[in-house]
Amino acid sequence: MAPVQTFSIRPFEPPVDAAAVRAEVRAFLAKHQPKGDAASRCNCWAVGDPDFTKALGRAGYIGMIWPKRYGGHERHPLERYIVLEELLAAGAPVGMHWIADRQGGPLLLRYGSEAQRQQLLPRMAAGELYTCIGMSEPGSGSDLASVRTRGERVSEGWRVNGQKVWTTNAHNADYMIALVRTGEGSQRQEGLTQFLIDMKAPGVVVRPIIDLVGGHDFNEVFLEDVLVADDMRVGEEGAGWKQVTAELSLERSGPERYLSSYALLVEFIRLAGAEPSPALAATIGQLTAELWTLRHMSRSTAAKLAAGEDPALEAAIVKDLGNSFEQNLPRVVQAISDVDLSADSDFARALALLLQVSPSFSLRGGTREILRGIIARGLGLR
Amino acid sequence: MSESQPLLLETAERLFAEVNAAAFDAAWAKTSELGLDGLLVSESEGGFEGDWDDAFAVVRRAGAHVLAMPVGEAIVAAHLATGAGFPRDGFATLAGRAVGDIDVKGRFSGRLEASAWGGDARNVLFDTPEGLACAAVADARVERRLNPAGDARDTLIFDGASVRRADSAISVVAAGAFVRIAQIAGALDAALALSIQYANERSQFGKPIGKFQAVQQALALFAEEAAAVNCAGQAAARAMDRGEARFEIAAAKVRANMAAAIGAATAHQVHGAIGFTQEHGLHRLTRRLVSWRSEFGSERFWAEQIGASVCACGAEALWPFLTARGDTA
Repeated sequence: MAPVQTFSIRPFEPPVDAAAVRAEVRAFLAKHQPKGDAASRCNCWAVGDPDFTKALGRAGYIGMIWPKRYGGHERHPLERYIVLEELLAAGAPVGMHWIADRQGGPLLLRYGSEAQRQQLLPRMAAGELYTCIGMSEPGSGSDLASVRTRGERVSEGWRVNGQKVWTTNAHNADYMIALVRTGEGSQRQEGLTQFLIDMKAPGVVVRPIIDLVGGHDFNEVFLEDVLVADDMRVGEEGAGWKQVTAELSLERSGPERYLSSYALLVEFIRLAGAEPSPALAATIGQLTAELWTLRHMSRSTAAKLAAGEDPALEAAIVKDLGNSFEQNLPRVVQAISDVDLSADSDFARALALLLQVSPSFSLRGGTREILRGIIARGLGLR
Repeated sequence: MSESQPLLLETAERLFAEVNAAAFDAAWAKTSELGLDGLLVSESEGGFEGDWDDAFAVVRRAGAHVLAMPVGEAIVAAHLATGAGFPRDGFATLAGRAVGDIDVKGRFSGRLEASAWGGDARNVLFDTPEGLACAAVADARVERRLNPAGDARDTLIFDGASVRRADSAISVVAAGAFVRIAQIAGALDAALALSIQYANERSQFGKPIGKFQAVQQALALFAEEAAAVNCAGQAAARAMDRGEARFEIAAAKVRANMAAAIGAATAHQVHGAIGFTQEHGLHRLTRRLVSWRSEFGSERFWAEQIGASVCACGAEALWPFLTARGDTA
């Protein structure tokens, strides 16, 4: 039997003094992070704050790895990783620009035209232009290849008709990166093209979807005869599927996959006090051990990405394990705490919020079932 | 990782494959001949001068081969012994638990329990409240014991035996935990490989059971757990190479124990009844995974220590602590 190794570690070795970068970010946060309670620090990459995002842009913390000629800062990908870790661990509201920084910008750098890059990237890096991702549709969730939003060639470029749904931050975004079926009669992965759709264009209607805790994060987006110039097409016509799937490792293995619930862990430790009971200490110790392990897995995957590899399997593993950890954390904390969830305390509010919103963690960005299917295929099953 | 790691791994792999099914005496004679227990010992003292990353890689393969001999224990014991200035004569092993006292004249009376092949070793290392101690097995009465996997876990009973003592950067229980983490990492990957192979071969309802999503999802989760242990173990090894790694070993053993339970259960579920037979090789892995989970610290044992230390430092100190330790990697 051949020796298998499911996960080999790649040392996380940024070509900078990591401690110095952290110190800079911590100083920035001390000055700029809005004061808020623990609940506001939970799941913070879904919490948007335009002023904070602009401050981050001024400090050079958006588009960190993009070329300077597009407003970026040409820093190392692992430096960016360190900055993201610090922002997330502090629970800073990074939701406004998160998608532009993580997906929109990198997509344009990889597939966009020179004009698109010059027009959009500097404003993204300044924290002034936000994007959303138009993938899911009413009939198209996990089965993304079934998208039906249609683009037909017209003299002005393209006319787009259809509907997107669960579109995070569409109500604030300037542009949507939409996956559209352009090949007439095309099936599945064929005939899909990505477009930048101006959210203020005639025919674009955004309708809020209020989530179960009353929050407004995602939306329905209706596209009715929306005219899109051909120079707003991203990449080749018909290459949409390839472009979408190439970015998934970036999306799946980041520190947001194990730090979304970190603010609750901090409050839990605070509540436990300096001398906890053995049972409480054991619970905190186990959660810490899991967090520490996930951090090393995510960093190792980041190091592979930085080296130009595509660790798709590792990325799926990090996301699924990270989601499970983040969902388990509020459950474990609830089980061992004698907490009144209606209490007016930081701890109770943070716990109540995460108990309710954490089910979404294994839905967004690829469901648990889809990820495990990817892992199974990577193992040689199927 | 030292430059010689590929060669070291190749040598170890060849040895492990050769002694895989051999009885202890024959297997250990070959291992001693190779001097593998000197993996962490400097060349000037006759060792391989490998680092902890090398030790992890070799012991991980030992775990995958489910050897009936204390390779990992002997490697870390030799390291501890030479670090403490104890003479290396024959092989030393680690005591899982020490119960007893050392009197004012430095004589130990008590029991060293769960010592892997303790009755076959020359010396046994154990923790005392004051630090590291080493006793000669010749001074002990040996009670032969086996863990559930059938590996020797002897109890050594001493009555006023003189022992050597020294300070040590790492406790015996932590060194032993490091060995078990590496073995669990290797055994999980081996059990996963067996399970995947079986799922692709075994047909029911007209197709390989590996085509069924329920089986795929279970194996995917198994792979995630194996990945977690491999990553945690390697991170702990690198921390050892940087210096003190008490936190990392504790955290990695907690994670390894969690994964060992899930992996063993999933491997059996996928294998069905055949995996439950003496004849099939799966139990050689799973019975060890189950045993190793209890050896050198359960989840609770290590998690309590981590939690107590985290709480003593305070909630705001955890993130700076985690990042400070990781950034030197």
